[in-house]
Amino acid sequence: MPGEEIFYLSVSELAKRIESKKLSPVELTKVFLDRSQKFGPRFNAYAMLTPEIAMEQAKAAEKEIQRGHYRGPLHGIPYAAKDLLAVKGIPTTWGAKPYASQVFEYNATVIDHLKNVGAVMLGKASMIELAGGSGYRFASASLQGEAKNPWDPTCWTCGSSSGSGAIVAAGLAAFAIGTETWGSIICPSAFCGISGLRPTYGRVSRYGAMALAPSMDKIGPMARSAEDCARIFAAIAGHDQKDRGTVPIDKGAFTYSPSVESRKLRVAWLSNAWKSYEGGAGKPVATAKASLKKIFSGMKEVALPVGPWEDAASLIVQVEAAASFRSLIRSGKLSDLTDPLAQILGYLNEQYSAADYQQALKVREILQKKMDAIFLSFDVLVAPSQPIPATPLNLNLETGLAFPDPQGAIGNLCGLPALSVPCGFTEKNLPIGMQFMAGAGDDIAAIQAARTFQLHTDWHKRHPRIHQG
Amino acid sequence: MSAENGSVISRREFARRAAFVSAAASFSPAELLTRESAAAVAPPLQTPAPSGPKLSPESQAEMESRVQAVFTQYGSRLSDAQKSDLRRIAADGQAALDRLRAFPTDNGDGPALYLKPLIEREKKPAVPANAKFAGAPKKS
Repeated sequence: MPGEEIFYLSVSELAKRIESKKLSPVELTKVFLDRSQKFGPRFNAYAMLTPEIAMEQAKAAEKEIQRGHYRGPLHGIPYAAKDLLAVKGIPTTWGAKPYASQVFEYNATVIDHLKNVGAVMLGKASMIELAGGSGYRFASASLQGEAKNPWDPTCWTCGSSSGSGAIVAAGLAAFAIGTETWGSIICPSAFCGISGLRPTYGRVSRYGAMALAPSMDKIGPMARSAEDCARIFAAIAGHDQKDRGTVPIDKGAFTYSPSVESRKLRVAWLSNAWKSYEGGAGKPVATAKASLKKIFSGMKEVALPVGPWEDAASLIVQVEAAASFRSLIRSGKLSDLTDPLAQILGYLNEQYSAADYQQALKVREILQKKMDAIFLSFDVLVAPSQPIPATPLNLNLETGLAFPDPQGAIGNLCGLPALSVPCGFTEKNLPIGMQFMAGAGDDIAAIQAARTFQLHTDWHKRHPRIHQG
Repeated sequence: MSAENGSVISRREFARRAAFVSAAASFSPAELLTRESAAAVAPPLQTPAPSGPKLSPESQAEMESRVQAVFTQYGSRLSDAQKSDLRRIAADGQAALDRLRAFPTDNGDGPALYLKPLIEREKKPAVPANAKFAGAPKKS
């Protein structure tokens, strides 16, 4: 029986052992399944486990590797998929009661890509209902209840890829797939002390994934390091005829090895990403910023453009979500959702005008040009992923004093890639994340910067203690 | 906290935005990081609301019109508390709309459409297989 540490090894390290036949994919899958069965419920991490699929894929992987057919770094590696990705023949609930019995007869493209490289699906990760597409006030807005943070189970993992964050942080799988419309990969990665990549919009096919706001939805990996994210991204990226939002063939594919990271990056610190830091985040952020200055000599400061970006992003998501969930709104089944806000917001989302939506798209175009100009001078913009650590499980989000998130609005309006990695801990031992954001299509710059940071730090190697009791 | 443009996003604005974005926790206040929420023990819809944004008479009328449209179409499904909640959220939404409309754009500014023309259609267009959807409404 492997020791505890195997559950926190990187994909790269597990792959080395599997390729050299020192580690059996079947044995690895068994121990991850056992651990997921034991601890998954503690964190409300899974929507469901799929042991039959997992063992079938693990046995196939082992057989192939024994025969000398090694498919690459994800071959035999156990993972979890957010429960908005269709997997043929099993429930795909979108985290919402009205869809609890929904079963698709095809796989999402991402699921097929991972199957083709030999990855082993352990189960479906829990999530916020409809990925927040009809709003939510509480972390409990999920079929599985609130996802508990492995660093402190009285705290939330953040949403909407809430289960994906818990699974990776608790060592229940080697990696997970999350999605982001606005913050849903970056925030759980930060709160859970893991590495998460939000790829450039259109780089990963959404075919078979629940649509929330089709002009902003993105799928990406959540794992133990920037390098792991790069290897997973390489497996799932690429043009897909079934998703018209994907970029062309020549711009979609992504291949990775650390040797491709040869650029001297021009890195800038975002001076206006957050107004202030709370909950003990300030100290680790200051330390991390000092480290970044040493690692990226010549790091300058730059300000994000000022404008109604959050208003534009909100309106786009509102209007597109109203279209995505029209049948739910019209049928009255909104009331079957868990969260009090989710039960009503869709009605209002339907009321916004096409002219206002078009104005938001115009503002989006203007913003994209402004960001293009910034990326002429810099390759990577860096700032804390969030100005706070994980929040209490039962926090009523409506009672919180709001603060702006221009970084998230801009990054998602413009479809920019970003990678969040751990950069320190608060005195209460809650992780803080640092976000590396690059120009559209330049995912490798964000990856290289984050990986360089991780070569000089070891925050990503820390993991929570999961008590056996 | 103040926005860069000097505006203050209210608590309700947070909730509204939390609805649309998927990173709801990113807007919580420092003092609430460590204490339990009163709303965890009280029904959230009964939580007294702070005052809403100041709207011009025109914006107020537009917001009311939007709310009435919801009530006309869906009012029978909504409790009084939910109606009150929706009105408050709509006011925040109106303030956001006003800010968005105030941003100068020209007639020739193109919208950031992501849709690409179908230059070459597949011979057999990809059609998702029918989902077995127990909870799906028959019509939409």
